[in-house]
Order: sequence, then C-alpha cells, then structure tokens
Amino acid sequence: MKFRLVNRIRICLAFILFFTSAALVAQVPQRPNPPRLVNDFAGIFTGAQVMEMESVLDAFADSTSNQIAVVTVPELYGYDKAQLAYEIGEQWGVGQDKFDNGIVILVKPKVGSSQGEVFIATGYGLEGAVTDALARRVIERQMIPHFRNNDYYSGVKSALEVLLPVISGEISSDEFSGNDDSEGLAVALAFLFCVIIFVCLLVALSSGDNRNFGGGNNRGGRNFTATDAFILGSILNNASGSRGRSGGFGGGFGGGFGGGGFGGFGGGSFGGGGAGGSW
Amino acid sequence: MKKGLIALLAVGAVLLGLFFWFQGNYNNMVKLDEGVQAAWSQVENVYQRRADLIPNLVATVKGYAQHEQQTLEGVISARSKATQITVDPENLTSEELAKYQKAQGELGAALGKLLAITENYPDLKANENFLSLQSQLEGTENRITVERNKYNQVAREYNTTIRQFPKNIVAGMFGFEKKPYFEAQEGAETAPKVEF
Repeated sequence: MKFRLVNRIRICLAFILFFTSAALVAQVPQRPNPPRLVNDFAGIFTGAQVMEMESVLDAFADSTSNQIAVVTVPELYGYDKAQLAYEIGEQWGVGQDKFDNGIVILVKPKVGSSQGEVFIATGYGLEGAVTDALARRVIERQMIPHFRNNDYYSGVKSALEVLLPVISGEISSDEFSGNDDSEGLAVALAFLFCVIIFVCLLVALSSGDNRNFGGGNNRGGRNFTATDAFILGSILNNASGSRGRSGGFGGGFGGGFGGGGFGGFGGGSFGGGGAGGSW
Repeated sequence: MKKGLIALLAVGAVLLGLFFWFQGNYNNMVKLDEGVQAAWSQVENVYQRRADLIPNLVATVKGYAQHEQQTLEGVISARSKATQITVDPENLTSEELAKYQKAQGELGAALGKLLAITENYPDLKANENFLSLQSQLEGTENRITVERNKYNQVAREYNTTIRQFPKNIVAGMFGFEKKPYFEAQEGAETAPKVEF
C-alpha cells in the first residue's frame, strides 16, 4: 500500500514536471545548444547560406563583441512580433551582459495566407546606433523588397551589410576586453577565510584549558568569533553579491566542431528598441 | 572551564547564525527594493521619452492637418497633465501608481486618436520626418510595454520575498512594504471610446 502511494506521488510529480517544462518550451524557441547566431527554425535558408551568415556574424561578434542573432520562426507562438523578438533576445541573452549590445533579427516567412513579419530588436546598448527609424528603413528598403520575392537570404544579407558598419562603431572590442576576474578572487578569499576560521575554531576547542588563544588574551576565543566571523560574513556576502545579474549565459561551448564557432551568448538585455514591418 | 567555553561558543554560534540570517535577508530585501526602484525609473524614462517625442510630432502633423486643431490640443493637454504626475520611487503606492497610469493612459489614447486622423492625410503619411517620428513612437510604445513588464517582474519577486514566512518578520521589522503592479492592460477604464 505504502509503496503504491509513493509511486503514485512520483507519477504525479513526473506529470507536473513534464507539463510545466512543456509549457515553458511552447513559449519561446529554446536557446540553441551549442549556441548559434543563425537559427533557421522556419527552414528558409539553405545549409550553405546558414553557414555563411553564421561565419560572418561569428567573426563580427569576435571582433566587436556585438552579437547579432538571426532567428526565423514558422509562427509567432501567440506573441506580437516585437515581443517575441525581445523575449528571444532577453531569454537567450543576446549581447554582452555589460553592454547589452545584442540585436535580434526575427523573420517569420509569408506562408500561404499568413502575413510575413519581420522585426529588428535592439539591445539597450545599441539603441543609439540602430535607432528605431534606422531599423524601420532597413526593413523597408533592404529586407521587404527581397522578402516579397521569397528571397530571404538576400534580404537578411543586405540588411546586415547596412547594420554591421553602423553597429561596429558603437562598442569596440577594446572596451569589451577589460574583463574582470574580481569575482574569482573574492570567492577564493572567502574560502581562505573559511579555512582559517575553521582551523582557529579547532584550535580553540582543543586547547580550551590553555587559554593561550589570541596571544595570551583570556577572552581571545570570544573576541575572535565576534569580529573575525563578522568580517567573514560580510566577505562571503560580498562574494555572493558580486555575481551580478542572473541568467547570463557566460561560457557556452561552441568551439568543438565545424572549425571554431560562436562562443555563446553573453546575457545582454533588451528594452524594446527596434522596429518591425510586414508584407 | 572547557565546558563553559564550549557553551559560550555554542551560544555565540547561534546568535551569529541569527545575526547572519537577519543580515542576509535584510540585505537581500534592500537589493530587491533597489531593483524595483531602478525598474520604476526605467518605466518613467520610457514614458518621458514618449512625452519628449510629442512636441515634434504635433508640429509635424500641424503642418499638414490644420483642421485637426481639437485633436492636436487634446494631445498637448494630455501630455502636460501626464508629465506633471511623477511618482517618487521611494513612495510607490498603488494609488500613486494608478494615478500615474491613468494620466499616461489618457495621453496614449489622445495619441492614438492623433495617429488615426493622420491616415486621412496621404501627404503626411509620405513625409519622411513623420514616418521616422512614427517609428520612434511605435518603438517607445514597445519600450513602455517591455519596461512595465520588467517592473512587474521585479515587483513580484520583491513582494514574494517580503511576504513569505519567516522573512515577513524581517520585512515587518524594517518596514518593507508591498509594491503595486501595473494593470495587465493599459487601464481598461481609460481606453478610448470609439467615436464615429
């Protein structure tokens, strides 16, 4: 009886887990793993076209740290096109955490009677370089004329030809390469303090009668816990605090196959900049 | 002697644990509170951004549509009303937020009316300056949506934290109060009536 009940609970839990995760999947396309900048979920590019754009965008991300993700979707998953583009940018973390210099180019191809939709979403850091008006002009002049002829590749490509030079002026790689290692240092320091305090505690407990702890001070033991532990506490706190925004996609692993590759999204954030169009 | 020391250490450890628990929770709440305030100032920023676009927009439309004086004045007065209302992020109450949202909602409605009448002026629709303003305005509306959502998210995180037991004890002791949310829809009560 007991066993059955436990099993039933387990099955219930499994179901709940399954459905909640399914609900999450249904919202926004999952972040690609290994990370890619060109994600052709709608299947409108050929393999060679994807490779070419990926290599161009990857090189661009390497040299300037700006990340441009091209995402094509077969449907809008119940979102407004602008919202879907921001959600993708935000959830994938396109752009660097510090500069929010990501762009999402979202294309939903025209299929049958449904309208074709396109949106260029800019991260906070690129709103100055790619203004809404510029995004709109790129969409109207570079993209939609090609899209009307079902030539999605040329449309995206000529849009990139306009956007890349504009963006590369905004945030250079020099600015970006000033990475900090302070977090690692803080953690190491905190760990060191932990060890020291632990050892001190051991010493204090084992030599309780000697009262030699703390350089002959009778009340050494108490002194030590109150002050040192306080320092330890605040250091630990700082260390955990310096971890910064969650949801970053720091490392990523893309280096494996296909001769190098995109290193991963950086955790950039989106504030609603950009423009869209439809045809 | 040894026992006394151990007992002392034990009591000290408990007190320290308690202290760190309070400290951790308090600091966490301060962090969340700051997050809410930062999100709120972002919300005000994007609303301000919309307000800043309006004089330009009105001037451009005026050049083409002199007969729409009433609509144009409606936008201007709604704008001046909306910009008068600001909310101190330290004092975010639901009444203040509702007032703010109402004023901004009325401005949004007036703007919607203005953009609707521009459909009647093909010359205006072809004006590059107007088109650029229009896309900026659309972008600003998108930004408003995004920032409102972000604000609601951080406010929810904050509210969940301060209302959970036993953290609510800490919150109560130090006067952390619940933050209001933006209504899901741009205030149904302020939505423009369709008039023909």
